[in-house]
Amino acid sequence: MSAEQLLSSVPESDTVIVADLEAGIGTLTRLPEASVDSTLVIVEPTPRSIDVGQRAVLVATERKQGHITIVANKVATHEDEERIRTAFGEHPVVTVPLDPVVVAADRQGASPVDVDPNALAISAIGGLVPVLIETTDT
Amino acid sequence: MIRIAFAGKGGAGKSSISGSFARLLSRRGGPVLAVDSDPLPGMAYSLGIAVDDHPTPDNVVVEGPEGGPKWVLRPGLDAAGFIDTYASTGPDDVRYLQFGNTWGHFQTLQRGQHAWSQVVREMDPAAWNVVGDLPGGTRQAMFGWAKYADVLAVVTEPTPKSLHVARRLLNITKAEWAPSQVVVVANRVDEDEDIERISNALDRPVIGSVPNDPAVVEADKLALSPLDHRPGPFVEAIEQLVGVVESTYDMDDQRATKGKP
Ligand SMILES: Nc1ncnc2c1ncn2[C@@H]1O[C@H](COP(=O)(O)OP(=O)(O)O)[C@@H](O)[C@H]1O
Ligand SMILES: [Mg+2]
Repeated sequence: MSAEQLLSSVPESDTVIVADLEAGIGTLTRLPEASVDSTLVIVEPTPRSIDVGQRAVLVATERKQGHITIVANKVATHEDEERIRTAFGEHPVVTVPLDPVVVAADRQGASPVDVDPNALAISAIGGLVPVLIETTDT
Repeated sequence: MIRIAFAGKGGAGKSSISGSFARLLSRRGGPVLAVDSDPLPGMAYSLGIAVDDHPTPDNVVVEGPEGGPKWVLRPGLDAAGFIDTYASTGPDDVRYLQFGNTWGHFQTLQRGQHAWSQVVREMDPAAWNVVGDLPGGTRQAMFGWAKYADVLAVVTEPTPKSLHVARRLLNITKAEWAPSQVVVVANRVDEDEDIERISNALDRPVIGSVPNDPAVVEADKLALSPLDHRPGPFVEAIEQLVGVVESTYDMDDQRATKGKP
């Protein structure tokens, strides 16, 4: 079963579903309209990533995939962050810093949350929770 | 002529490595055709070609004959003519073909795919060195998209996720049309143990070891090729890799001239 079939067939319930989609906008273009409450668009501070992110925002908006939040990932400098904010104008941006804990966890094949629950990147990702609650009417 | 394709998990470094490889190979003389079959193309950046939205125009193909492929190159256009007309020219005289992109609608993408597979199948193997960049994951490689290559280079980082994809890609050797050589390139290596971890996990020769080089990420942020922004350890490693691949061809001259149908 594809991600799009799965997401469009789960009944409304109290269960929170978090889906990690394929790179690019392929799944978003195939996902039936209004399948999700919220779309997180993850971008890195590179022109290529920002370009793909902007296209993802267009598709998600057009297809009514809930509230859109930009996650600026691997941000190392103030410029990195500004560049992403400028590119995404009116959308809320949550910044996740470039964090060696995430790299180390990847090498160990472990979750960064288990490697160091207090890591900077983890606290930043925690910052998504209030944004999601605020933008999702449940 | 060298015919090599790079595969691996998304983010493993295929585009950075293949684009740099193509340019360094070209500097040694001999025509190089860089081919990007990733619908999320990244090779143009590492080649130093500014615009990567070069979808193949729809009218390069016409409907194919009954029982044949759905689309074929239009009458009068052969593989050589296609490359001549539609491959862009980048720094170090590398020619670049992109098969299509995510942004086109489905039919356009399908036409591009047919044009692409006919071009790599019918081009004169003695005319070009070919360097290919495949999309992340195993799908395209397993479905025969790397048929044009003699060498399939599986790019992997020393992480379990990346190695998992690499291991699945190595199964390609079981396919009847598999490239005659399937090798491993280790990327973002920080220490010797990283290479050891990779060769142990994959049980296959690691023919290249590419260090983690912050200049590559900087180049990415500036939309520059790693060759055009503070070339250092990364570029040196790719230069070595070009030498290693060339020497495997020298050892087996026959394969070098035979090419692939
Ligand atoms: N050896 C390296 N050292 C540092 N950064 C690298 C290296 N190789 C790749 N990168 C970075 O990793 C990211 C993914 O690389 P890319 O070549 O686009 O991967 P792929 O084409 O496999 O998806 C890019 O930001 C790139 O700059
Ligand atoms: Mg790529």
